[in-house]
Amino acid sequence: MIYFPQLSSGAAGQFPVKRVHSARTVVNEACEGYQIKLADPGAAITEWHLSFDELSDQELAALEALFQAAEGRLTPFTFLDPADNLLAWSEQQNQAVWQADPLLALTGGVPDPVGGTAAYQVVNSTASMLMLQQSINAPASLDYCLSLYARSDQSSRVWLVRGSATDARAISPQWTRLTSTGQLQDNADSISFGIALDPGSVVNIFGIQAEAQITASPYKQTAEMGGVYPNARFRDDTLTITTIGPSRHSCELDIVNVEYL
Amino acid sequence: MFPKLKTGAVAQYPAKRTLRFSTDTIRFLDGSEQRFRDNPSVLHQWTIQLDLLDETELAALDQFFVSNQGRFGSFSFTDPWDGTLYSNCSLAGDTFGFQLQGEMRGLTTLIIRENRT
Repeated sequence: MIYFPQLSSGAAGQFPVKRVHSARTVVNEACEGYQIKLADPGAAITEWHLSFDELSDQELAALEALFQAAEGRLTPFTFLDPADNLLAWSEQQNQAVWQADPLLALTGGVPDPVGGTAAYQVVNSTASMLMLQQSINAPASLDYCLSLYARSDQSSRVWLVRGSATDARAISPQWTRLTSTGQLQDNADSISFGIALDPGSVVNIFGIQAEAQITASPYKQTAEMGGVYPNARFRDDTLTITTIGPSRHSCELDIVNVEYL
Repeated sequence: MFPKLKTGAVAQYPAKRTLRFSTDTIRFLDGSEQRFRDNPSVLHQWTIQLDLLDETELAALDQFFVSNQGRFGSFSFTDPWDGTLYSNCSLAGDTFGFQLQGEMRGLTTLIIRENRT
């Protein structure tokens, strides 16, 4: 798998980041102003404009290596959107992308910390630890941050699952944002994120988010698409680098993800 | 419904609202004109220009665009000027972009258009 590299800081990108979603709609407009519309979801395009400043020699070498491996705009690579939540259906844990262990009970429509009812109650009434997780097709070796809001009246802890790492976090009856961050020594092409519950635990969760960076950013709701783009490409066949001193490079990149390619 | 910002507001200053008629004009050789209306009534359009958004607010707008499939979908929109609910509106374009200039410094613009019902 070839993938877009992280910076040495663990960040996925630098500010400013610009992203554009484009859809295609065929519109037939009558002279009275009525419109007949036809959606063409297969023609959707997502574009990013990334600016990098003060790159070190190693960071630049990683970008150049990707550009050469992809041969410019010829070959796709995996791109993890630095401005999005990598997990799909972040507020619908009953969707198929979420793998819940058998006997783990999920109940939706629970009050959440932002005034809505998008939280889930997760109940483990068995005598063994059970998990709820989602797997994404992204390199397991990168830095990731998993975050979620959790509360419980009965249980005092929940486990955050980040690939092969599981971190226990204390919870209380108040909503608390929990994070688990780090890098795994794992060369797999996929990684799972989720929670694990101790036997007998009852935990309310909301706003589960995974990001390819070392700290959590504000929660971003997702639907059927998370921020993993396995078919991204460079928009151009040229990569221009400006060097203003030893190990001080800058460049700008345009990346595009086209569904129909 | 069109998503609200964390403050509960829909729009920020400067905000722009457009009223749109569609009139056909036939001009004759003697210079006189005959005019008639194409649309039975006025249609509204709002330009929502937003600045200093955080990533949660930007994500909500982005999801709204994706779930509407650009200008394909329709939704109800409350005019922030007078509180009138317009039940059949669409996004005016098939493109939604934003720029994150820093933390909590997101910038975007959306145009909403009232549909003929």
